[in-house]
Amino acid sequence: MRVMIGLIENEALKILRRKRFRLVLVVLAALLCVVVFAQNRQQQNQRRDHPERDWRAQAEKRASDLERQVGQRRLPENFKKWMRYESGRLRYHLARGINPNEITGPVFTRGFAGVGTVLLIPLLIAVFGADLVSSEFAEGTITLLLTRPVARWKVLLSKVVAMMLFTTLTLLAAFFLAWGISGVAFGWSGWGAPILTGFRLSGSSPSAGFDLTDVRMVPLWQDTFAAWGLAWFSALAVGSITLLLSVVFRSAAAAMGTMMATLVGGTILSRVASDWDGAKWFFVTNLPLPDFYAGLPTPFEGMTLAFSVWVLLAWAAASLAAAFLLFTRRDVTA
Amino acid sequence: MAYNMVVSAADVVLSAEGLAKRYGDREVVSDVSFALHRGEVFGFLGPNGAGKTTTIRMLVGLVKPSRGRIVIDGHDLGQEFEAAMRRVGCIVETPDLYKFLTGRENLEHFARMLGDGAAGRIDTLAALVHMDGRLDGVVRTYSLGMRQRVGIAQALLSDPAVLILDEPTNGLDPAGIREMRELVRRLAGERGLAVFVSSHLLSEVEKMVDRIAIVHRGRTLAAGTLAELTDGGNRGLEDLFLELTGGETV
Repeated sequence: MRVMIGLIENEALKILRRKRFRLVLVVLAALLCVVVFAQNRQQQNQRRDHPERDWRAQAEKRASDLERQVGQRRLPENFKKWMRYESGRLRYHLARGINPNEITGPVFTRGFAGVGTVLLIPLLIAVFGADLVSSEFAEGTITLLLTRPVARWKVLLSKVVAMMLFTTLTLLAAFFLAWGISGVAFGWSGWGAPILTGFRLSGSSPSAGFDLTDVRMVPLWQDTFAAWGLAWFSALAVGSITLLLSVVFRSAAAAMGTMMATLVGGTILSRVASDWDGAKWFFVTNLPLPDFYAGLPTPFEGMTLAFSVWVLLAWAAASLAAAFLLFTRRDVTA
Repeated sequence: MAYNMVVSAADVVLSAEGLAKRYGDREVVSDVSFALHRGEVFGFLGPNGAGKTTTIRMLVGLVKPSRGRIVIDGHDLGQEFEAAMRRVGCIVETPDLYKFLTGRENLEHFARMLGDGAAGRIDTLAALVHMDGRLDGVVRTYSLGMRQRVGIAQALLSDPAVLILDEPTNGLDPAGIREMRELVRRLAGERGLAVFVSSHLLSEVEKMVDRIAIVHRGRTLAAGTLAELTDGGNRGLEDLFLELTGGETV
């Protein structure tokens, strides 16, 4: 056990000293600055067009209307539930003098989990994960690494653990950077705000209404915690597949390129061939877990949050199994 | 061909029996056998392409033999990999250290994999290989000689019984070659290590070994003490070598 901890320490040291992780943090910070700046500009333009006093009056009117309708009309129970939630949400904001249509730091942070899981975070994982094994072969250090009294599977296991560790660190960094940077523009508080989530389209036609059965009202921090947790799970799956690519390829560039091509291919597929159900079995199409959790439409028929979680789990497990098999059986000839 | 395995079996630290390795339909090593004894320097000679490097890679677990058995200090390498490897230190071709780490960090990295306080030996080993005080630069800045020395230090980290060196003088200047030779003889003589040196530089090998094996096309053609095979010095090693290997390289 002590040896395993030593092995993990080795891998962590190598990741840090290769400076790839530093690059990940820099990219995250730079990107967030740009996005926050852009959204801030957008919000300022909106404020200019709809001055402050307007939102209060609007919110007040809307809340009163909803409260009245709930009492008076005979509506389906789902609808009434939603109306109560929505009026409650508006009252919360009115009481605190917060414009419910505006972004706060916490709102941005919650949104970032959804937006980041499809391309950005997987790419960042690939940046530091792709050379976990391939660099040992490319630089020749694999010879010294494997001629030790340590079974090969233990060596690979330490790399798997290091990958998971740094994936978690990446997610934590993304979270705090998102909150920190967006807070500068939009304020850091607002975690207690109630939000409504769980809306679903009640059909696949473009004019379908909303299915309100699963709508729930939760404090923002709770929704954010769930969303980021799912983003973390998604990232771990990407990390596992990246590790397999790193075992297969001797070049980190090849491993990274393959992962990037797959990710981009997935987004193209979702857009272009949304009628082909078979695509739901690919891991790329199942990455946006936070969006599925929030009830956004899935790209292909038959996908649910639970389905996607299982598909990603299967892909991760299969990738790790293949990686172990390849790594332990391979003849190291050069 | 009769093998001269005269020395007592109890002194055998590493034995290879009937090693073979096949890649697809090509047999790179067909039948290699030898035994290594405590405190001796053993030369493994052969022309390029004879299967020396493949054999060495099999000895240290990098390549899996198609046939044959390797036993190190009583442990079968195939069955008890970790126990066997603990008794071995090796340098396979030029030791590729982590270039972005310092010499010391490299040694600490490998010491951590041993887990038994090997890190405490780093300073002593650094002194042994004449690298004391020079371990704190990044390996990227080291000369080849310095890297070779750190390579020897990492091979000795686990206090092994067997040291396996594949072409250790590769790329070294004459001073470096002599230093290597003296170190090898010292390790075998003073510390009782069994040292296995593979090389195609006959003149170098002649100066440091006790016993040799000559391989060609994946087979052991001759084995015995240097004295026996060169008829007490009457016959040149080079002549014997070229005669057995037909003066050809593969």
